[in-house]
Amino acid sequence: MFEQLAGLLTHLGEKRIAVLRLFGAEVRFDTTALVMSWVVIVLLILLALWLRRGLRQPVEEKPNRTQAALDGLIDILKSQLSGNFASERLAIMMFPFISTLFLYVLLSNWLGVVPYLSSPTQNINITMGLALLVFFMSHVLAVKLKGTRRYLKGFLEPYAFMLPINLVGEVAKPLSHAFRLFGNILAGTILITVVMVKFAPIIVPPVLSIFFGLFFGGIQAFVFAILAVAYINVAVED
Amino acid sequence: MLQEAQNVVSGISGADIATAAKYIAAGLCMGIGAIGPAIGEGMAAAHALDGMARQPEMQGALLRTMVLGQAITETTGIYSLLIAIVLLFVI
Repeated sequence: MFEQLAGLLTHLGEKRIAVLRLFGAEVRFDTTALVMSWVVIVLLILLALWLRRGLRQPVEEKPNRTQAALDGLIDILKSQLSGNFASERLAIMMFPFISTLFLYVLLSNWLGVVPYLSSPTQNINITMGLALLVFFMSHVLAVKLKGTRRYLKGFLEPYAFMLPINLVGEVAKPLSHAFRLFGNILAGTILITVVMVKFAPIIVPPVLSIFFGLFFGGIQAFVFAILAVAYINVAVED
Repeated sequence: MLQEAQNVVSGISGADIATAAKYIAAGLCMGIGAIGPAIGEGMAAAHALDGMARQPEMQGALLRTMVLGQAITETTGIYSLLIAIVLLFVI
């Protein structure tokens, strides 16, 4: 039985790898994650285009229901952000980035609920890419807002001999950021697959899917975005 | 009967022992690794509840901070999960 289970789970991690030869070097792509990522992107764009219909400047007429709901949503997101960022200006500046990140991760997590589709976030490369995006974003912003001198001096705080520990701390941030999302989503997928194939093929998997896919996916997307906010905030503040 | 047992024992190869060790290690890794995050997240929730009971108007901020703190606490559990996955399917 364990052999079968192991075989089943290795099948889960099976990847369709496309190899691209570029200047003599091999570049490998996991095409499943790539295609799923594109599905998420296309869905987001279509959703945006669909919701954009019927929007109007709220000058003379009263807004329709879609617009009212969207306004409310944006207000909630904005208030969450401005509560977490150090300054209002930074919150307004980072709002598009953070909300895009949130929507992408949320839809990626929820995509795993749909049969025959898989979450792109259960691939470590995708989550690592997102985490590195946040990492570079925070450091570039820190250099820009604090100046190179004060940015470099920040690594010597509180004492100069703490430099190695500070550097390790900076490297650990994107790693834990990426592994957290990846581990949570992968664990949910493995659990659902094992239960579905080995124990209860009907009724139970959808319930588990709702719990792990929708509930945990939502929480993890929220946590991912809030942690991005926290990392950027810590890097930027004095 | 003794002969049978001896046959079984002599039939066990090194690969079998390695496989068994793999499963035992993955189970131990997950079981022990889940203790810390469970206690930590429980403490975070308990103290957040204390705060909410004392100041209900702070509920939103407390809930947000609690979820964030729990997510960070959970990281060690996620690390042990990854190690268990690696033990089971990669090694």
